[in-house]
Amino acid sequence: MNWRHIDEILDERRIIITCGTGGVGKTTLSAAIGVRAALQGRRTAVITIDPAKRLATSLGLEELGDRPANITSEIVSAFRKAKAAGMTIPDQFKEPKIGRFDAIMPDARSNFRDFLRDLAPSAEIVERVMSNPIFQIFTKEFSGANEYMALERLQAIDSMREYDCIILDTPPSRNALAFLAAPKLLSQFFDERLIRWLVLPANSLVASGMKKALSILERLTGTGFMTNLFDFASTVFAVRVRFLANLEKTMDLLESPDVGFIMVATPTPETAPEVRHFIDILTKHHFNFDGVAVNRTLGYLDPVPASAKSPKHQRPYEVLTALIAREKKALSGVGSGSTPLCAKLPELARDVHSVEDLFYVAMALDPDYRL
Amino acid sequence: MTKGRPEPALTTAQVPEILRRKLVFVSGKGGVGKTAVSQGIARALADAGLRTLWVCFEDPLQEPGAIRQHGPKLWYLNCSAELAFNEYASLKIGSGPLSKIFLKNKLVQYLAKAAPGIHELVLLGKVWYERTHYDRIVVDLPSTGHGLAMFQSTKNFSVLFTGGPVHRDAESMIETFGNPAESGHLILALPEEMPLQEALELSGFLQDLFPENPPGFLVNRLFPGVEQTRQSQSEADQPDSWPTPLAKSAADYLQKRMILENYNLRLWRDRKIPFGALDFVPPPDPSRSKESVSDVLSEELKRKGYL
Repeated sequence: MNWRHIDEILDERRIIITCGTGGVGKTTLSAAIGVRAALQGRRTAVITIDPAKRLATSLGLEELGDRPANITSEIVSAFRKAKAAGMTIPDQFKEPKIGRFDAIMPDARSNFRDFLRDLAPSAEIVERVMSNPIFQIFTKEFSGANEYMALERLQAIDSMREYDCIILDTPPSRNALAFLAAPKLLSQFFDERLIRWLVLPANSLVASGMKKALSILERLTGTGFMTNLFDFASTVFAVRVRFLANLEKTMDLLESPDVGFIMVATPTPETAPEVRHFIDILTKHHFNFDGVAVNRTLGYLDPVPASAKSPKHQRPYEVLTALIAREKKALSGVGSGSTPLCAKLPELARDVHSVEDLFYVAMALDPDYRL
Repeated sequence: MTKGRPEPALTTAQVPEILRRKLVFVSGKGGVGKTAVSQGIARALADAGLRTLWVCFEDPLQEPGAIRQHGPKLWYLNCSAELAFNEYASLKIGSGPLSKIFLKNKLVQYLAKAAPGIHELVLLGKVWYERTHYDRIVVDLPSTGHGLAMFQSTKNFSVLFTGGPVHRDAESMIETFGNPAESGHLILALPEEMPLQEALELSGFLQDLFPENPPGFLVNRLFPGVEQTRQSQSEADQPDSWPTPLAKSAADYLQKRMILENYNLRLWRDRKIPFGALDFVPPPDPSRSKESVSDVLSEELKRKGYL
């Protein structure tokens, strides 16, 4: 297996972006990487989109998480407690110089409004676009707006230069790649040649094919929609130059050697092909792939007794044994070839509900750590 | 998901009742097994002799738009927004030269791709249209937020497009999806904190959209032994009271897992939500058996009387 140690990644990158499908434990892992970075003395921010209630609570994100919640002192006291409770502490953390730990939970909707305010030439345009029903649907449901705003937020936080390390936990999505496609999807929206058609005055010279197409569109959708559409397009047109400049800055950042991507996955038969697909797409985008973090592994429970002591446990043991066998196979599938593995984390016996629990994950990020 | 929404009073439907409907939408958090379970449902329906279509949306690993036969009465469709849009436009304009002008137009192509909500509208429109060609349709919706957005877009479009055929179609779609005589909504979860919680939020949103059509609840991958240990569990067994989040051994892990799943399920049980349950099935070894997870699930659905 080709290992790439998480500490090596933390040394090399200022920003780590974690991707993965829902339910793989991205948020927990992102928080744990952040804790590890903070324990190594870094001023750290973890940007997370949708944490579990109890994890959010333990990160101090119960309400209004849009502003950074500094929980460094909680980390310090929780670390003391975990030490006292007998958690094995590797040498490098025996006398940790704790940097800083901020958790941030961006609110996509309000960020979009602020973002627009920054871009628009006048307050009047902002008001006009905000009251347009197309815009309202756009911010609510455009399946790239959330993702894009997370990137915007990342860039804004990074440009403050207050952090040595930023972990971005990407929004939950159907597949790990939806997130990567968001900037391109949005930039399509700002395609100048096409928006121009919508903002041209009605009496100007328009190709007859275009006229026909627009009249069919109007017949299908009704006049109300067309009016809103023209209005929306003219606003988009007004902000496009600054938007595209912003987008370019964000894309430059993502491609830079400061940023690394980690894929979080669970050990199932589908993992290996998903990982390969993910790496392909990352490479196409010129993004840096730093490794796969396999989460929720049960292999640390080995060896499972061949037969259970009580018949009540017969079936659970069978299932557990089958799961561990499947995991071994999946791991060898993922680890074959040159794909680097950056972590193999244990399935915990309960949901992470405190900073102390996070330490176990943060320590286990080191493959040599004895659980 | 929007945060801090007040919890609504829950009304729910039973799983077998939901699965009798013509259109069944399976929703839930990512990773809970929507694909395997919805395929299991479709297979069981097809086994019962019903012409059944299983639908997923924009799976990048499958050919877009293709309908594939998976059994004598079972078909799979990987619904593609682009193809569905073209199909819908041809249906409305006719397949003559006008439709060609429309679909080849750069601006129309741009709007079809970039306009918010159009994808969702035409994807659900395709499902709605296909319902006349099959006895049953089982839909594998995208995870929570995106799945919900599909219904919300359709509703928004019925408001946005005043007059015109798109408006009327969107209205009819919403009516069909909200009508318990035609459609059922099944919310799937795992016995874990997040999926169970998200299921509750999702049911609230669905109820706002479809007040007449309460969803059913199903928990997937319940570990064996969980039901049996439920009664013997004491207050001292609270997962929060364990000194570490790790398990010491396989035996310790199993015992803790059973306690944890019962503990998590209190989220639903305390609210008196009736729910179905599917056992944890580790995927069969493909080198030894041809059976897939959805085959195993379809047998279980039948055995438990859900279908």
